[in-house]
Amino acid sequence: MLTYAEVGLTLSEYQEIQRLLSRNPNDLELGLFGALWSEHCSYKNSKPFLAWLPNQGPFVVQGPGGNAGVVLFNQDYDVAFKIESHNHPSYVEPVQGAATGVGGILRDIIAMGARPIAVADVLKFGTNDKARALRQGIVEGIGAYGNAIGIPTVTGSVGYSALYDANPLVNVLAVGLLPHLQHIGADGAKPGSVLLLMGQATGRDGIHGASLLASQDFGTETEAMRPTVQVGDPFMGKLLMEATLRIVREGLADAVQDLGAAGLTSALAELAYASHVGVSLDVAAVPCRETGMSAYDIMLSETQERMLLSIPEANLEAALSAIETFALPVAEVGRVMPGDFLRIVCETQLLADVPTQVLVASCPRQVLADDFVERFTEPPVGESAPVPLTLDHDLGLRVIGHPDCQDRSPIYQRYDSMIQVRTVWGPQHDSAILRIGEGADGLQIAVAAPSRWALMDSVAGGYGAVVDVLSRIATQGSVPLGLTDGINGGNPDKPEEYQRVAGLVWGIAQAAQDFGVPVTGGNVSLHNETHSQAIWPTAALGVVARHPHPETPIPDRPSGKGLKIAVLNPPEELSLGGSVLAELLGRIGAYPRIVPDRTVQALRLMGDWARDPDTVGLLACRSVGIGGLFVALARALMSASPEYGADLRLSSDRAALELFNETAGQFLVFLDPSRQATWEHSAKRAGMTIAILGETTDSPQIKIQAGRTVTWELQALWQAFREGGEYHRVG
Amino acid sequence: MTLEETRQVVGIVVFPGSNCDQDTIQAIMDLGAIPRVLDYRLRQLPAIDRLILPGGFSYGDYLRSGALAAAAPIMDAVGEAATAGMPVLGICNGFQILCERGLLPGALLPNPHGEFVCRLETLRVTAVPSGFQGLSVGDRLALPIAHHEGSYRVSDGKLHELFEQGQVFLQYSDPDGVVHPLTNPNGSVANIAGVTQGSVVGLMPHPERAMAEYLGSADGRRLLQAWFGQKGGHGC
Repeated sequence: MLTYAEVGLTLSEYQEIQRLLSRNPNDLELGLFGALWSEHCSYKNSKPFLAWLPNQGPFVVQGPGGNAGVVLFNQDYDVAFKIESHNHPSYVEPVQGAATGVGGILRDIIAMGARPIAVADVLKFGTNDKARALRQGIVEGIGAYGNAIGIPTVTGSVGYSALYDANPLVNVLAVGLLPHLQHIGADGAKPGSVLLLMGQATGRDGIHGASLLASQDFGTETEAMRPTVQVGDPFMGKLLMEATLRIVREGLADAVQDLGAAGLTSALAELAYASHVGVSLDVAAVPCRETGMSAYDIMLSETQERMLLSIPEANLEAALSAIETFALPVAEVGRVMPGDFLRIVCETQLLADVPTQVLVASCPRQVLADDFVERFTEPPVGESAPVPLTLDHDLGLRVIGHPDCQDRSPIYQRYDSMIQVRTVWGPQHDSAILRIGEGADGLQIAVAAPSRWALMDSVAGGYGAVVDVLSRIATQGSVPLGLTDGINGGNPDKPEEYQRVAGLVWGIAQAAQDFGVPVTGGNVSLHNETHSQAIWPTAALGVVARHPHPETPIPDRPSGKGLKIAVLNPPEELSLGGSVLAELLGRIGAYPRIVPDRTVQALRLMGDWARDPDTVGLLACRSVGIGGLFVALARALMSASPEYGADLRLSSDRAALELFNETAGQFLVFLDPSRQATWEHSAKRAGMTIAILGETTDSPQIKIQAGRTVTWELQALWQAFREGGEYHRVG
Repeated sequence: MTLEETRQVVGIVVFPGSNCDQDTIQAIMDLGAIPRVLDYRLRQLPAIDRLILPGGFSYGDYLRSGALAAAAPIMDAVGEAATAGMPVLGICNGFQILCERGLLPGALLPNPHGEFVCRLETLRVTAVPSGFQGLSVGDRLALPIAHHEGSYRVSDGKLHELFEQGQVFLQYSDPDGVVHPLTNPNGSVANIAGVTQGSVVGLMPHPERAMAEYLGSADGRRLLQAWFGQKGGHGC
């Protein structure tokens, strides 16, 4: 006999199951509950705050709840996209953990009938030696899967803190295209249809991945969980993708559900619940990789590269022959029936029979106190960020050489960023721009995960993360279609951790509301905690947007000397809170609460300028984020060919604050001096501040007059960017 | 005469795990030729003028890159066509397959740093393969590479012969066309990125990904036009 604790349930949850079933569950049934009532599958702790996120908007075709969100792209295509985490497995076995993270989210997109066209990843690493080894493995794993299956990794975000030493984060965003209004999902299964299980034979890998590995904190016994990590096979993934897409295209299936966390258990239960049908599965019919696998093993295995198809009897022959083309293993494993049950049999013997309503939708959830959200109104009181009074050469090099600002090419060059030949802007830019058709609108994709911003005030950090991704979209004048969020936090059973994560979501929800962009799906990963040490609450935000002219992006680097350098919407109250510089100076402080109205207005104006750059004389721009204006400027100058410099004049007491604050929603713009009257008028009419800082020069250096003059040679900045901020001291 | 007028038919061989086939088909169509997808299970080639083995991870790169595809049913016919003088182009994994099959000299080993590498490289044209038009020795092409196993090697004593016989098509170089160890992305002997033998050409870079300036380079278009015997483009 299994105990409730062995499957990861609490006593009260077990009692609830007894009450709902009016009997004791048998071992197999208990295993099903352990999986589906886990944090990972049930979202029992996060559902109350996920309800805050707005999920409706003019472009939403399908909001949260399915395998991925779907938004309208144009009259021919919709876009399916979602971010998902694979944090715990990536710590236990980095290469396979990260690889199956990519494979898993790609199958979610494919199960929506969409062909994946891009992947973006958000990674957080620790700073010790073990963390470096984990990074090596995680990057290898992401590349190994994405490169082989042939989906480009087009953008990403990487961050570092010692708090991720034993809890690295791997959040992967996948984006796919599907014919406009083609609908396939888990929700269309009709009684009488045959259930086909296609792909890898089921093995013992990943058993209890969802219920134990992903839903509990880490301790010393974590190493023993290595066998619960799945192994990815991108070759099989590629065949599975092509076969699934062909079956969907030919209209042969009435429902499709991929197998991910909690394997067959979750796939069957989701399909039955979403389609309002009963399902019966014969475990004897499931092809297994090993002999002697029990029904329990088969139901809870997380073997990768499997897809569940519901096929009307009339289409069965055609579907099997399509699958045969790809030489994929497939088996008839069950039946769709009228009713509300998940029934498991072994040939003629009944092994389990549970109402899906109970299994999928009855897990007791966290209930929030009535005054819970009032706690988010005011920023928490804590130590404030430092206020440096002088600007010096060293600060600039240390900021651009900080791990969070450094060159990412050693990572992204290990990913194929160009396959499918859509990538106009790849990972060397702040966002990706993909062409979709010749001369047609393109797709812009941006991700951001500024977790330092959320350290002291997670509400401010969540809000800032949304403004960060949307600002990148504004620099191109693109239309944001939808957001996806990956929420990562510590142990939800600790009230302070729970509140930090809830605050993060509250901030995201407020910003999504203020900027009018819905959140169409996402993922929550809790229990990112080892030996009671939680990670920074981390929001990985992704956005997809329609780009008006993908073949000619608005440049992110200057193309001449004598251009005016200005900041659009500099913050009124300057604070280094949450910034890289504040960390370097020893006191991170709370990230500022962004002022909604004027920031909404700033993004709107930036978008207007980017859509009509010639009128205002906009020549290049970047949004300001991690590392502040200084890093945005340095990267713009370093990436220009030939290189240009900048000559800036700032006030002596505010220069460091102006250059290194990370308040999102401000933009570095390079403007045509002959159009000064136009842009000034345009900003004034919008009630927006534009501060002229100086102009570009043809000498490769940043020269700032702020009382005294400080000069950085681009060569030195480049070296710090490539090799770290301490380089100049050693050299 | 343009390609539109001659309407050349190009067979694109698709193996399980090929993943640059669609990109290659698109590039071929952009140039006005007619692509024809050839399943790896075919034993005879239909009426075609040319053949491309596209990039990807045929058979998951299991065993060795290209080793399993080199023994696929269609490869006998590919070998016969090459012997008969049909132009055959192998790109990335296609190059690996042609080497494994023995239709091109040498072998492609895992990159010595053990990492996949994807970036734009400058390639110097060292010899112009037979049938190519509009490329000259010393021309430089900017083309993307994306591979884990691109370290070109030949058996002892063979290198000299390759150069002597004009079989070294492309070498990784600096932007000025100078070939030196610092411009070698993958440990290939003598920075070799592409070779030729008879009517067969193999290269690690992906010309089908460099079809327009806004994609980073249009030199892939130039290379493919040259392969078609078309004098497009210009020297750089």
